[in-house]
Amino acid sequence: MRRNELFTAGRLRLIAAAVVVVNGFFPAVWILLTSVKPELELVRKPITYLPHEFTLDNYVQVFRQQPLGLYLANSVIVASASTVVTLLVSACAAYAIARLRLRHRDLILSAIIASSTFPLVTLLVPIFQTMRAVGLLNTYPALILPYVVLSLPVCTLVLVSFFQSIPRDLENAAMIDGATRFGAMWRIVVPLAAPGVFTAGILAFVNSWDEFLLALSLNSAARMRTLPVGIALYQGEFTFPWHIIAAALVVAIVPIAVLIALFQERVVGGLTTGGMKG
Amino acid sequence: MASVELTRVAKSFGSTKVIHGIDLRVDDGEFVVFVGPSGCGKSTLLRMIAGLESVTDGTIRISDVVVNALPPRARDIAMVFQDYALYPHKSVYENICFGLRLRKTSAAELDRRVREAADILQIAHLLDRYPRALSGGQRQRVAMGRAIVRDPQLFLFDEPLSNLDALLRNEMRTEIKKLHRRLRATSIYVTHDQVEAMTLADRIVVLSGGHLMQLGSPDDIYHRPVSKFVAGFTGSPPMNFLPASVARPNGVALVELAGGRERFALPARWQALGATLVGRDFEFGIRPEDIGVEARGNDVAEIASTVIVTEPLGAENLVTLGTAGGELTARFAAGVAPRPDEALRLRLDLSHMHLFDRQTGEALRP
Repeated sequence: MRRNELFTAGRLRLIAAAVVVVNGFFPAVWILLTSVKPELELVRKPITYLPHEFTLDNYVQVFRQQPLGLYLANSVIVASASTVVTLLVSACAAYAIARLRLRHRDLILSAIIASSTFPLVTLLVPIFQTMRAVGLLNTYPALILPYVVLSLPVCTLVLVSFFQSIPRDLENAAMIDGATRFGAMWRIVVPLAAPGVFTAGILAFVNSWDEFLLALSLNSAARMRTLPVGIALYQGEFTFPWHIIAAALVVAIVPIAVLIALFQERVVGGLTTGGMKG
Repeated sequence: MASVELTRVAKSFGSTKVIHGIDLRVDDGEFVVFVGPSGCGKSTLLRMIAGLESVTDGTIRISDVVVNALPPRARDIAMVFQDYALYPHKSVYENICFGLRLRKTSAAELDRRVREAADILQIAHLLDRYPRALSGGQRQRVAMGRAIVRDPQLFLFDEPLSNLDALLRNEMRTEIKKLHRRLRATSIYVTHDQVEAMTLADRIVVLSGGHLMQLGSPDDIYHRPVSKFVAGFTGSPPMNFLPASVARPNGVALVELAGGRERFALPARWQALGATLVGRDFEFGIRPEDIGVEARGNDVAEIASTVIVTEPLGAENLVTLGTAGGELTARFAAGVAPRPDEALRLRLDLSHMHLFDRQTGEALRP
């Protein structure tokens, strides 16, 4: 009886996991398959799941029809810069909240959480007007600055919890050994919070990489478009070239996938074990 | 090396005062132990000396320099933490040389000093390992290596042995004592373990509730405690206390226990003081080793008792006894192992007796 129950519970878990995995991966796999099929095969009935005719022509077309390389470069610059700035600022903020005896600490933390709840649409007009006033429209900072602001709350929250998990005496030991407070944070806390720093970094990067509304509104000039905006332009007035869009999407997904795969390896748990008792 | 001087040092967290105006001087090369129950402020005081806690009032001097406003790195100190606080992402070698690297020590000098410290602490074979691959005792040795390699003017120890098992604790205690003999470095050591305090210290500072209760040599603290608190804190098992009063019926001052059911004359050197104590309430204190079954010396009092339990420790027996005045614990030689319910005439060695005021806890001295 008990064995049966366990068996059933294990099965349920397996089914649940399968649902999550299929739900998450099916669209991506479908896009990948679509990107290597010729256009005619997409509208053929019955549907072909695996490509009957394998082609890489869509990938050639995707770079011919639009300057996808430029969009890719713009996205890399904007997302990387906003990630670096977000990490620097949120690490300092999180350290202060986690470690220093701040007045109104809880109030500050609440304000940070509250600021992340504003819908982007409500921020669009003020951000646009501000950028126009300071003459930053159609520049990289026009997107980098708001992306930093948008990613800061969640990255700060992630880092606060990681910093709090690092024993305070490690920093005290470093400060007695001769480090400044900033030095102790930089040499001891940040390396030990690496999993948290990478997690926050991935969040900030993906936020910036995927963002569409601000990118469309603030950087409308062709030379400043980022990938999400650029990909939307493959759609013609009367046509919807799924095979080309799919190839463009794959090009957009690959850097993120590589980034996550790269960092996931570095997000090693249990790094702090052994330095302290227990 | 250095001296440390605390002048009316106080600390408050908000409106809560945790250290109440402590005055203390630690001499060059001295080993001073702060001891007291948890929450007495001993670690806070140590961290104030280290610069990890701010000083609310008073001054701290290290080598005659006021350090109140100096950050920890500018105080030229080393500290060994209770939880070791080794950097988990650095090897033992890097842990030990971290402070030297920050001070831009040359590579050759750095290597020489790390290896010298590792040799002293017998951890030379562990230099390439990471803290997670070390046992508790090895981690504590690395933590000490990190402290001694910098040759600081002052060593601070914050309960460094409390996470080790009993056997290792004894071993490391001896190591620390050997190390101090070798380096003669001014050291301040915090512990709640009175055995560590007694065995390591040149002088002991007993703290309670943020107040300095007594400052003295281990011998002073043990044999001449200034209060019932200090007397009860030192010794294992601690001093026995029995409620007592003093009577003087025929011109001889007597101690009365249990409302006069047991009474004995105060020793000659207490008689003058005893005459002034009539009618007051006291605690009569006697250490377990000053209770015997055979007469020793001249100043001996006899009282009746019944054995409750005998705990054999091999080299000696701890015996809990019921008397008219209350329970006592006695330390008997291994050969003396009375059985439960056995009646015993106890001989109290009054040359080592103590009297404490029952209200204030203050010790009385003849």
